[in-house]
Amino acid sequence: MHKLKNSNNMGLFIFFGFILFLISNRVDELRVYQGASIAVFVIAIASIILLTGYSGQVSLGHGALMAIGAYSATLARNELHLPIVLSFFIAVLAAAIGGALLGAAAARLSGPYLAGTTLALAVGLPSLANQFSILGGEQGLTFDVGFPPMSLGESFTQYKWYFWISGLAALISMWLLSNILRSRYGRNWRAGRSNEVAAQLSGIHTGRSKILAFTISAGIAGLAGALLSMTIGTVSPSAFPLALSFSLLTGAVLSGVTTLSGVMIGAVTLVAIPEIADVVTNHIGSSENITTNLPGFMVSTLLIIAVLFVPNGPVEAHRVRSMKKLAKKKVNALTKPSMEGNT
Amino acid sequence: MMFQLINTFLIGITAGSIYALMAMAIVLVWRSTRVINFAQAGMALLSTYFGYEAMVHMNSFWIALPVAMLGGALFAAIIELVFMRLLVKRSSSGHIASVAPIIATLGLLGVIRAVTAIIWGGQDVRIIGPVSNFGYTLGSEVLVFSPLKLLILLTVVVLVLLLTILFQKTNIGLALRASAFSPEIARLSGVKVDLVRTLGWALAGSAGAVAGMFQTVNGNGTFSPDSIEFSLLLVSGFIAAVIGGLESLVGAAIGGLLLGLVISFVLMYVSSSLFFIAPFIVLLIVLFIRPQGIIGVKADRRA
Amino acid sequence: MKAINLRKLLSVSAVLAVASLAATAVPAHAGEVGVNSSEIKLGMTLPMTGTASLGYNKIPGAAKAYFDYLNANGGVNGRKITLIVKDDRYVPTEAVAKTNELILKNRVMALLAPLGTANVKAVASSVNPGRRGVPVLFVNTGFSGFADVKKYPTTYAILPSYIMEAKIMGQYIAENFAGKKIGLLYQDDDFGSDALAGFKAAGVNFAVKVAYASGSQGAAAAAGWITKFKAAEADVVILFGVSSATSAMLGTAAVLKYAPQWMLGSVGGDATTIKLTGVPAGVLYNAIGFSPVPATTDLNDEYIKLFSDIYAEAVPGSTFDLNVLLGMNTAFMTAQALKAAGDNPTRKSLMAVLNTKGATLANSALTPLGYSGTSHVGLTGYWVGKYSPTGDLLPIGGTYTTYTTDSGTGAVVKSNYKRPAMPAKGLPK
Repeated sequence: MHKLKNSNNMGLFIFFGFILFLISNRVDELRVYQGASIAVFVIAIASIILLTGYSGQVSLGHGALMAIGAYSATLARNELHLPIVLSFFIAVLAAAIGGALLGAAAARLSGPYLAGTTLALAVGLPSLANQFSILGGEQGLTFDVGFPPMSLGESFTQYKWYFWISGLAALISMWLLSNILRSRYGRNWRAGRSNEVAAQLSGIHTGRSKILAFTISAGIAGLAGALLSMTIGTVSPSAFPLALSFSLLTGAVLSGVTTLSGVMIGAVTLVAIPEIADVVTNHIGSSENITTNLPGFMVSTLLIIAVLFVPNGPVEAHRVRSMKKLAKKKVNALTKPSMEGNT
Repeated sequence: MMFQLINTFLIGITAGSIYALMAMAIVLVWRSTRVINFAQAGMALLSTYFGYEAMVHMNSFWIALPVAMLGGALFAAIIELVFMRLLVKRSSSGHIASVAPIIATLGLLGVIRAVTAIIWGGQDVRIIGPVSNFGYTLGSEVLVFSPLKLLILLTVVVLVLLLTILFQKTNIGLALRASAFSPEIARLSGVKVDLVRTLGWALAGSAGAVAGMFQTVNGNGTFSPDSIEFSLLLVSGFIAAVIGGLESLVGAAIGGLLLGLVISFVLMYVSSSLFFIAPFIVLLIVLFIRPQGIIGVKADRRA
Repeated sequence: MKAINLRKLLSVSAVLAVASLAATAVPAHAGEVGVNSSEIKLGMTLPMTGTASLGYNKIPGAAKAYFDYLNANGGVNGRKITLIVKDDRYVPTEAVAKTNELILKNRVMALLAPLGTANVKAVASSVNPGRRGVPVLFVNTGFSGFADVKKYPTTYAILPSYIMEAKIMGQYIAENFAGKKIGLLYQDDDFGSDALAGFKAAGVNFAVKVAYASGSQGAAAAAGWITKFKAAEADVVILFGVSSATSAMLGTAAVLKYAPQWMLGSVGGDATTIKLTGVPAGVLYNAIGFSPVPATTDLNDEYIKLFSDIYAEAVPGSTFDLNVLLGMNTAFMTAQALKAAGDNPTRKSLMAVLNTKGATLANSALTPLGYSGTSHVGLTGYWVGKYSPTGDLLPIGGTYTTYTTDSGTGAVVKSNYKRPAMPAKGLPK
């Protein structure tokens, strides 16, 4: 039964991948590039959803974990000349180790204390790149995954190659995540999130469970970091500002932190906002002050609206609404008011 | 050598006292409503613009400062009344109840930043301090300490004392604490919980305004949403509050001063490249020894 | 239940993806990308917001002011020049995203004056304008590597490199401050390490070197720097950092009554930007400064006169400063290169002009340009000046003395470069 569910699920992801593949052959290069960015955000946002939505911990420092992944992948590639797939594994591993350490500290803390620690990490860690010459300083290191294989044809663009790599990585990590979340670990996290004491009483080691969540989340963030540095071709401290950590959180909230299935919404929004802002300013023809500050304003406003009106995410809100409707229908059909409480 | 030591201490203590003000604002909000307000620095920024406008029209710092404080208090009160109440109503339960306020105030920070940049952006905004910022002389040397810095330090001390007295010795303080810890019981015993919460925010808005005004005059007298001084205020204020333990105003003040001093000594005697990583290390050390911060309440760290 | 839900939502997501990735129609066009019978489109990315935007956010307005003037006077062979500007917030990821939009969506002919070493490097390796054949004109960074035609075939430097500047400063110190104790403030990254390399090549020995981490340069940090310089009893203090570092340093020095002989690097040496942050002009008095272009207040200079008139009309109330001058100068050079690129300019013909005649393009700078088929070095030197009581950088003794050098081991020499006269009305001929 359980196995059947998994393979079903896998078929779904393969189908989705096939659609993405078809799309990638139909759209122009800019959209393909944006698709690659969306895939990177999907992975990064998923790592936040796992941590915040499922295990109830806050991180304002996932930008720093992405930086760990990005730098490890780059070093593995440039210094050890590892194949690209292997360097991504190194990125996951390195970030996961960082996450485990952070998680061990985090298990002792929570709420605002954890937020403060991770914020300080996001501010501090990227600046270390200037301390060690191997990390390339402010201008950073080049991260080159190489040209697409010749067998794909002359007209196959670099960005399509990036899109395929990051799209595939996104699909695989989403599949893995959705399975982890339905496993015993996922249940433990949810139990700890809703009532820590009760979870402990029922034999769940909540501290260990939280560290595990942090480790997995960090590993995924590390993968996103490596993919980010692939799409921008370099890795440098300025690519991981505090604003990145904030926008990941924004993306997670827009997606709905309690369910993985809305993750596309947040990722697409983050990539699309600057373009939408562009369209708006082109239409109303505003001053430079407004033009330059509109994207920031729109993202923040959306974030506020999301927290206020769909705190569990648009997907969850939609689900709840349709369940209620369904329940009402049943109620009407059976005229049994007791069903109401089940939603 | 001695002179260098004294100066390093003075640099740390004045920078730290402004972080302390910011940290106190964050603690006030936390204590009255159990919300970590990331928008505090944004509110301080907006209040500083209020002060700037007063400065333009009245040309006196001693008018600008109360205007900024009043403006900051009003704005914070409105935010609490309109925004935070709605937030509490909409997401006080559910899975993200613990993170919703953090996220919402982050959004608020972004909105305030963007709006101030749209209204005042590109303007040369300047506030001139009320007293001289020229350093006192000690023998032939000029100290990194001036009448202005003395004023800042004194203000912080006075504010810490006033607010501590308010919290510990008056009915308002009792109501503030009661409203945060057990709103239901407080309500039953006749405390106007909502009013008290708004008051907590207003006090914080005021304290933040002072931090913003002083941070500006303590620098070169200019500010903008994009200035480095303000991004430092945002990060350091919060870290100082966490170091201090979030529950106590005295803790926040100590946290701010400690952070200022550590950064100052690290920059002077270790390496200037450690500027950004130093707060993280301080925070880790403090939280490793005392997970509830320097003056925190142990049972509350999981709140 | 969960699985069904997931499936449904995945398909919703798929629809969303298709919608968001909906192909945009690519207009068919004859001739070069970004060029049609009435218009030439150029694109620019730079920080317009954020802590790194100080001073630089005036560059687009300046370049547009010149292009508007040019367009009002017939444009380039009858074509108007349109400049599309995008904010990259000084984040490489944003710079890549915005450059992709400029090239793939706005379909600009060339990129103009992108800013920041990390950003230009990221764009070079991700967007790869070199492989696409898109010219990247006059990058706004002193990183010497961008002159390398093998690595960056379509990128053209404009500013003299940080190494050149440090070497010239070193030469000036050897000539004027022999035996004095020299102090250096520098940024703790490649900007600073390039400077250190240049000073080393020039044989400067420092009594004290103070590094700062980019983004930490507030008043509190500056008080610490001064304490260090005082302890080392430095006679001359070189500020080789960004504007905000110079401002923090000079503002704090004023209140601490600390007044060594200041020497300001060109990156952080624009008086208007410094004064805008509240530093009193008097503090700058007698500081030594370096610039490749004439003093921005030198209205006897034909370029300065014309550019400042154009700017005053286009952006009333804004001070004509170094960033404005460099922005307009870049626009002016671009216009000439486009004009010389023929009746139907292409990316190739534009770059051919720069490779063959680039070094002779009229422009306001007082030091020679180094463009050739084998090198894309821009300006190659500086003149030395002192700041006036009002805080304006003026040549010592009233005449410009310029030095030139290279980014390698070449000597620093006094230059006798004769600047090309300005074409009539400042329009390309």
